[in-house]
Amino acid sequence: MFFHIVLERNMQLHPRFFGRNLRENLVSKLMKDVEGTCSGRHGFVVAITGIESIGKGLIRDGTGFVTFPVKYQCVVFRPFKGEILEAVVTLVNKMGFFAEAGPVQIFVSKHLIPDDMEFQAGDMPNYTTSDGSVKIQKECEVRLKIIGTRVDATEIFCVGTIKDDFLGVINDPAAA
Amino acid sequence: MPRSRDEDDEIDGDYEGLELEEEEEEDEDEEERGRGGGGSRRKRGRSNFIDDYADEDSQEEDDDDEDYGSRGGKGAASKRKKPSASIFLDREAHQVDDEEEEDEEEGEDDFIVDAGTDLPDERGDRRYERRFLSRDENDEDVEDLERRIQERFSRHHEEYDEEATDVEQQALLPSVRDPKLWMVKCAIGREREVAVCLMQKFIDRGADLQIRSVVALDHLKNYIYVEADKEAHVKEAIKGMRNIYANQKILLVPIREMTDVLSVESKAIDLSRDTWVRMKIGTYKGDLAKVVDVDNVRQRVTVKLIPRIDLQALASKLDGREVSKKKAFVPPPRFMNIDEARELHIRVERRRDPMTGDYFENIGGMLFKDGFMYKTVSLKSITVQNVTPTFDELEKFNKPSENGEGDFGGLSTLFANRKKGHFMKGDAVIVIKGDLKNLKGWVEKVDEENVLIRSEMKGLPDPLAVNERELCKYFEPGNHVKVVSGTHEGATGMVVKVDQHVLIILSDTTKEHVRVFADHVVESSEVTTGVTKIGDYELHDLVLLDNLSFGVIIRLENEAFQVLKGVPDRPEVALVKLREIKCKIEKKINVQDRYKNVIAVKDDVRVIEGPSKGKQGPVKHIYKGVLFIYDRHHLEHAGFICAKCTSCIVVGGSRSGANRNGGDSFSRYGNFKAPAPVPSSPGRFQRGRGGGYNNSGGRHGGGRGRGDDSLLGTTVKIRLGPFKGYRGPVVEVKGNSVRVELEMKIVTVDRDAISDNVATTPFRDTSRYSMGSETPMHPSRTPLHPYMTPMRDSGATPIHDGMRTPMRDRAWNPYTPMSPPRDNWEDGNPGSWGTSPQYQPGSPPSRAYEAPTPGSGWASTPGGSYSDAGTPRDHGSAYANAPSPYLPSTPGQPMTPSSASYLPGTPGGQPMTPGTGLDVMSPVIGGDAEAWFMPDILVDVHKAGEDSDVGVIRDVSDGTCKVSLGSSGEGDTIMALPSELEIIPPRKSDRVKIVGGQYRGSTGKLIGIDGSDGIVKIDDNLDVKILDLALLAKFVQP
Repeated sequence: MFFHIVLERNMQLHPRFFGRNLRENLVSKLMKDVEGTCSGRHGFVVAITGIESIGKGLIRDGTGFVTFPVKYQCVVFRPFKGEILEAVVTLVNKMGFFAEAGPVQIFVSKHLIPDDMEFQAGDMPNYTTSDGSVKIQKECEVRLKIIGTRVDATEIFCVGTIKDDFLGVINDPAAA
Repeated sequence: MPRSRDEDDEIDGDYEGLELEEEEEEDEDEEERGRGGGGSRRKRGRSNFIDDYADEDSQEEDDDDEDYGSRGGKGAASKRKKPSASIFLDREAHQVDDEEEEDEEEGEDDFIVDAGTDLPDERGDRRYERRFLSRDENDEDVEDLERRIQERFSRHHEEYDEEATDVEQQALLPSVRDPKLWMVKCAIGREREVAVCLMQKFIDRGADLQIRSVVALDHLKNYIYVEADKEAHVKEAIKGMRNIYANQKILLVPIREMTDVLSVESKAIDLSRDTWVRMKIGTYKGDLAKVVDVDNVRQRVTVKLIPRIDLQALASKLDGREVSKKKAFVPPPRFMNIDEARELHIRVERRRDPMTGDYFENIGGMLFKDGFMYKTVSLKSITVQNVTPTFDELEKFNKPSENGEGDFGGLSTLFANRKKGHFMKGDAVIVIKGDLKNLKGWVEKVDEENVLIRSEMKGLPDPLAVNERELCKYFEPGNHVKVVSGTHEGATGMVVKVDQHVLIILSDTTKEHVRVFADHVVESSEVTTGVTKIGDYELHDLVLLDNLSFGVIIRLENEAFQVLKGVPDRPEVALVKLREIKCKIEKKINVQDRYKNVIAVKDDVRVIEGPSKGKQGPVKHIYKGVLFIYDRHHLEHAGFICAKCTSCIVVGGSRSGANRNGGDSFSRYGNFKAPAPVPSSPGRFQRGRGGGYNNSGGRHGGGRGRGDDSLLGTTVKIRLGPFKGYRGPVVEVKGNSVRVELEMKIVTVDRDAISDNVATTPFRDTSRYSMGSETPMHPSRTPLHPYMTPMRDSGATPIHDGMRTPMRDRAWNPYTPMSPPRDNWEDGNPGSWGTSPQYQPGSPPSRAYEAPTPGSGWASTPGGSYSDAGTPRDHGSAYANAPSPYLPSTPGQPMTPSSASYLPGTPGGQPMTPGTGLDVMSPVIGGDAEAWFMPDILVDVHKAGEDSDVGVIRDVSDGTCKVSLGSSGEGDTIMALPSELEIIPPRKSDRVKIVGGQYRGSTGKLIGIDGSDGIVKIDDNLDVKILDLALLAKFVQP
């Protein structure tokens, strides 16, 4: 799920960036630092949409670095248990398949793939129904439900299922 | 054997006899049963009977199978063996004639009635049956009767009288006044013999022998116990015994432990039906079996197992053909197929078991049902404790039973192994037995055996008390769990499927499915791979292996590591034991990719050729030009890929570097000279987590301007000027000047006067230091200290004094008498000093002695060694135990030019500034303490970004080696850093030069290789030495 929230961060800036462009420097550094990171609480920071406020800088003793408390608005993405997501299959193997929804990696175990889908090894490993009408392979888009998440310092990993109504392949560029 | 104690007590302590712990099983059993001493005669008599019987059974496995189920053909055998049984038989036979007497009879064998069984009913049946039996079948009837009686005796376990109460038991415990137990060592395997000999001795000598008893325990080898009041008595008794060593110490068994010595381990085996057990002996050794019936009296169990029967062999055996006794192999477990057996003309009888009413197929005395074999075995031949059946085994057991219920009834065994505090408040549980089966709930409180659970079900008492054994943990898909017991203990993962009591977990690290019992896991948010550390080595560490290969630990198994070896051509995984790992490699080095971009650890690289082409990820380790890349999409080898640095490109790196730096033989300078487009380190401010993300940022950021940033933070060495030889990180670049922070101060030098040093840590790797921080050199320097320490006396002062003092003074004024020589003079050994190694200035030994600060005073202990060292005679011994490889013990050695490599102060070496001393040490130390390069050895030159070449070191000076290319040194001569060189290990019968250790500098011939050791015949003295192969280099005659 996406959220638009306000977060705060203390930025440290080297004195050489001081000057007319201090604010720009600060913002570009903030973007560089923050965008794409992941925190367990808020999920992935997708983009910074605006700066709320930049507080007074504080010179740190001994280094000359200046710390600015920055409040910024950003879009975060945090997957939740039970959420339905659309994701792109990145890897298929005999244990299931991996799919990605933006920065989030989701694993769908073969136990969570409908029983009528069988694994087909080969050049392009895939899961296919017995009649061959549905095929899950790399690059294909699936709709899945997240049944569990694990949050690390730098990534969120999810386990998903397509063993439910209205879940499964929604678009297959290879077939089209 | 508490009984022996009892008897002692009864006989008022004056009983001076020998009681031998005899070996028969029955005795042990009997005594165990008759514990407390006061058991009635009848009871004992009966147990005798049963034990006899049991013993017979254990001797004849086949017989007992028949015994269990078959009616015919058995009586004769029993009759033959059991006089006691035939007494009963007679009595019963009598009964047959006189049925009227039966009531009376029943009164007589009252203990059967005591057992409180439904025996009378059975008898009624029997009587009824008997009436219909024709009289001419009388014989068979008698046999049948006999068998029945036996069955009755054995089946109904009579409750013994409550044994002695606790207090009584306490009173029986040995006290200080009782004789003591002494442990006497004897020849191994002779324990019983010794005991018997002592008994004989006692019989012969009578009361002279003041010992009370001798005990030889079967499970205790090498010792016997002697009971006596005094040690002297024991000594007296064992005097002259052949199998007791004369001067062995006699150990007293502490009073508290005395009972343990003789108590038979009373395994309170709680064996119930459906328990999983393992067979201990025979063909089925180690096989899983399921208990179907327990006979506590006869100590026998009927188990169900998967037969291992070779039908062919069985067929020929039953036909009476000779079967070779010695079986070459154990037949694999396979379900018995009756039809198949019939095809082989094996006689299969179908019989009904009289007790259970089930039908069994009987083949040659073995019973089968549903393909399983039913076997009655002694309790002793099965393992009950800690049986954790694996899934495969359970699956096999499940196969033939068609009911989809699944045979996880054996969960009771799993529960038996439960740890205490298995359930915790808040655990989700499910009831698996009883009326409330499948009821889900949450643990509210755990009260010993009972667990109070709260469920959502309405109309149930809340909370509800349920026995622990009826509960199982409950998980749902998506839960993150940790395995706390069983084979996968320690692993964590997410539940993907719940199949009754079995969970399928997706392991966090291996991304593989793991099947575990729900009972073995707990919910946890922790993420681990299970064990991640054995010894000093952790998962994903780069390690050097025994055979000089190296690799990354990708998985930890029981006591072993799986290591992905550093072989770029193909993924090679080796299973390595802890002791096979030499050390962890923590060197931080940079290499160059195909286009001469610098790769450091944490850089994102893409593999552009080779087997793992197309893979991409951050570099985790670099060693010898081989990169270990972590690709999270790569599922094998824990995501690690091994590739040559030259077959990779840095993501975001430049291609043009190749042209620019082409032809620059000092490629390590290349980056320095034209640093602009290829910053070797990201801007110093952009460090943060998420390597790839920030790296690319750093790269783009660094590309601006003149790329001054690239030099910032790199560690350089000053080549010219007054600060020559100093090194330090660049803190600022201004035009042509670079500010270098030396160890102590920041100096300004000419830009051309510095060279960067590949071997040291670039700034980026030291991100743990605060920004704009201290020198990254310190970490790389640290190894110096441990190295130096052995060279000095423990009291030596820090490194600078130790290093400098000798170098300045000794190196420059080799013949000026310094303190040590003066000592020599005083010693009055003038004649010796010409040959004394001390006078070879700057040689390591003398430095070693010089190391203590002058302030410590010559007269102190070190002073003493100076004097000693003055004489060549003492010299050898003085150094012999010097642990440092820098200390050659052969006096001639320091003369070799090689000493220059570590000691620039030698006359032959280059003039030096004080600082170089430190410098020169560093590469040597950085080289993983393996090899110290010397002239005339064959090496592999790996210049980063170039093919490796064979060359011969011609000269070693100032930390660099002059190497002539070609296997015999006929090619061009180039300069190389020790880090670019690798000693080529010699082969058998090569000429070798010893590059480290005691014999450093010596040449010899490698006459053999033994594992990681080489057997070397040293030229000088033709001694044969066994040396670590790592210390040997191929010698090339100059």
